[in-house]
Amino acid sequence: MRQQMVPGGGPEAAARSAPAAVPEAGPRVSIEALDFYYGETQALRGITLALPERQVTGMIGPSGCGKSTLLRVLNRMYDLYPNQRASGRVLMDGENIIGPDVDVNALRRRVGMVFQRPTPFPMSIYENIAFGVRLHERLSRAEMDERVEWSLTRAALWEEVKDRLRNAAGGLSGGQQQRLCIARSIAVRPEVILLDEPTSALDPISTLRIEELIDELKRDFTIAIVTHNMQQAARVADQVAFFYLGELVEAGPSAQIFTAPHERRTQEYITGRFG
Amino acid sequence: MSDAPEHIVKSFEQELARLREKLIEMGGIVESQMALAMQAIAQRDTAAATRAVEEDAHVDALERDVEQFVVRLLALRQPVADDLRRIVGALKITVDLERIGDYAANVAKRSLVLTASAVPFNLGGLLHMGAMVQGHLKLTVDAIGEGDLAKAVEIWRADEQVDELYNVVFRELITYMMEDPRSITPCTHLLFISKNLERIGDHTTNIAETLYYALSGQSLPQARPKGDHSAYTAERGEKT
Amino acid sequence: MSAPRPLLRGRRKAVNALALGLASLATLLGLVVLVWILGTTLIHGAAALGPHLITQMTPPPGAAGGLANAIFGSTMLVLVAVLVGAPIGVLAGTHLAEYGRARPFAELVRFVNDILLSAPSVVIGLFVYQIVVRPSGHFSGWAGAVALGFILLPVVVRTTDETMRLVPISLREATLALGAPKWRMITQVIYPAARVGILTGLLLGIARISGETAPLLFTALNNQYWSMDLGHPLANVPVVIFQFALSPYDSWHSLAWAGALLLTVFVLVVSVLARTLLRGRTN
Repeated sequence: MRQQMVPGGGPEAAARSAPAAVPEAGPRVSIEALDFYYGETQALRGITLALPERQVTGMIGPSGCGKSTLLRVLNRMYDLYPNQRASGRVLMDGENIIGPDVDVNALRRRVGMVFQRPTPFPMSIYENIAFGVRLHERLSRAEMDERVEWSLTRAALWEEVKDRLRNAAGGLSGGQQQRLCIARSIAVRPEVILLDEPTSALDPISTLRIEELIDELKRDFTIAIVTHNMQQAARVADQVAFFYLGELVEAGPSAQIFTAPHERRTQEYITGRFG
Repeated sequence: MSDAPEHIVKSFEQELARLREKLIEMGGIVESQMALAMQAIAQRDTAAATRAVEEDAHVDALERDVEQFVVRLLALRQPVADDLRRIVGALKITVDLERIGDYAANVAKRSLVLTASAVPFNLGGLLHMGAMVQGHLKLTVDAIGEGDLAKAVEIWRADEQVDELYNVVFRELITYMMEDPRSITPCTHLLFISKNLERIGDHTTNIAETLYYALSGQSLPQARPKGDHSAYTAERGEKT
Repeated sequence: MSAPRPLLRGRRKAVNALALGLASLATLLGLVVLVWILGTTLIHGAAALGPHLITQMTPPPGAAGGLANAIFGSTMLVLVAVLVGAPIGVLAGTHLAEYGRARPFAELVRFVNDILLSAPSVVIGLFVYQIVVRPSGHFSGWAGAVALGFILLPVVVRTTDETMRLVPISLREATLALGAPKWRMITQVIYPAARVGILTGLLLGIARISGETAPLLFTALNNQYWSMDLGHPLANVPVVIFQFALSPYDSWHSLAWAGALLLTVFVLVVSVLARTLLRGRTN
């Protein structure tokens, strides 16, 4: 196990000491020959891709290309649906996380997810954060307060909500709600954060705030983001993977993908020439 | 330009075609400037020389036009991949073409001075060099128009011959000057003319390199074949 | 498109006017009947209102009295019905919404529940008579409460199922994505999100059972005296109204009207409460 960046007591100090310890680390998640099926339909074909530690991997491709499906494999979200199944290997610390013996709830603590539309729970801002933390840890009142503040601060929301933590989360604006959701997933101290089109329901300024946040978060977390916005992938991702019809067509450094992609299909897609 | 499918946004496709047309138009004018300048030297044609010089303003205007168009495309279309490379390439090519136009105009101007003095010796080497550079320039403009990778490589390789020829002409002119000090004035002009021709060759090479990257996404190797070993011509950043 | 010809336009307008007229007439008819019923109840009932209603017992013929034992009995019946029916209903609804989803078994349960929802209450009364009253040998409050519970149950099942299924799937996924077990998701996220809807369903169910008469005739029957014993026949407002209204005595008639008014007002208040809750949710 790698070192956790936030011990229960002093999250702030620990968060500062951890970043950039390993500039070029190996993959945090290794996907190997992954196939995925919705019933009879095969949605992913032989995907092999590594998510480098503390980097942002952008996943792009037309609707239905399998990028969101891949994201949902990484935290076993597909388990909710009986006719969906995956085969192949997805390795985290040498463990195949799509194997049958995996503790899915423990996995989901390590691999957080933020969805397309903000999903605040019907409870107060404070409780939204505390809910997830309580699932996995027993914290004293003071520790919980500290954790809530820490995660809201990391999600660049603390200043805006610190005076109304007891208010219902539903009263926040869309952009704030999405940052709350990000705060909620980092509060349980995951290793990987999956973002499924996190800004598609937000206005441009809120979108930029989230993008800035992603840039900030990658110092501590390994991030995978699915986006339909190519400029967004170019702005936030270190590595970009292009999916088409359930296949990984090409993955490479963002600069390379957006200036000189190797594959013709990648080029046609990102330049808007998809026939 | 290539067999890639068209963009979904048709107006973007049209704008890219428009950009290409602007470059071809500019290349065509620079080509004719070059032809006029060579004609002025070979046939002591002052009218041709004057026209070559006058065309320069036209080329400058086109360069500004392309520059604005490129900035507009970058801002509004946010191109990526081959689109980005081609648009940025167009910006670089237009600068090279403008420089070529400047050199051609300078050659034309010097040819006017030459007509005023006697040139008692054979200009064969220089004219040969001019014809060769002219041929490369034509090839370059064709390559721009057709998006032809093979032509770009051909131009890039061919510049070696121009450099070698330049060395020959250089030595020839030095010899003339040593033989007869009265020929120093026309020979100096001829020296500058040959230098200008050599610089035009360099710019066609630049265009070939830009084109190669724009088309393929890959860079040509750093070390270009060079025939220019003359210590006298080491001043590469020189203008005019 | 060209403008419609004047002739056609005239015809269309006529058809429109006719349809609108008929619809308005039908609405008016409904309203008139409703106002008539409410008005009659109000006029007759208001005359008999007074503190004696809640202080005195149902009287023998000719004597003065109130509805105290009936009101208490009804409250007991409804309360027990809710205490029994609501938890079972909510749990069953939860099962359908969260675990059943599209499984055949759940579909079957939904279908049966819908039948139960529209079953005539007299049938339910008869059923409870058969399974509770006959074996025990006498009418009882328990039997009445069970009958009312059977009527409440499908309402609660249905509304719980519906409202819980209305909670967006994204909220479920977001909860589970934090590593929450399913029961935590249901109790801590889905229930709060569906709370208003479930509560509304329950209130509507209460409004429905508090006026039911037929099933009580076979089960709780009636009791002229004050009784808190659910093991024996229990007085209740609907059956009192039924019996007193059919009687030849004027004093009983006016008590029946008073009971009817009380019942109507109660149902009205509960309905308004339910609607207010619903409106609060949409905001």
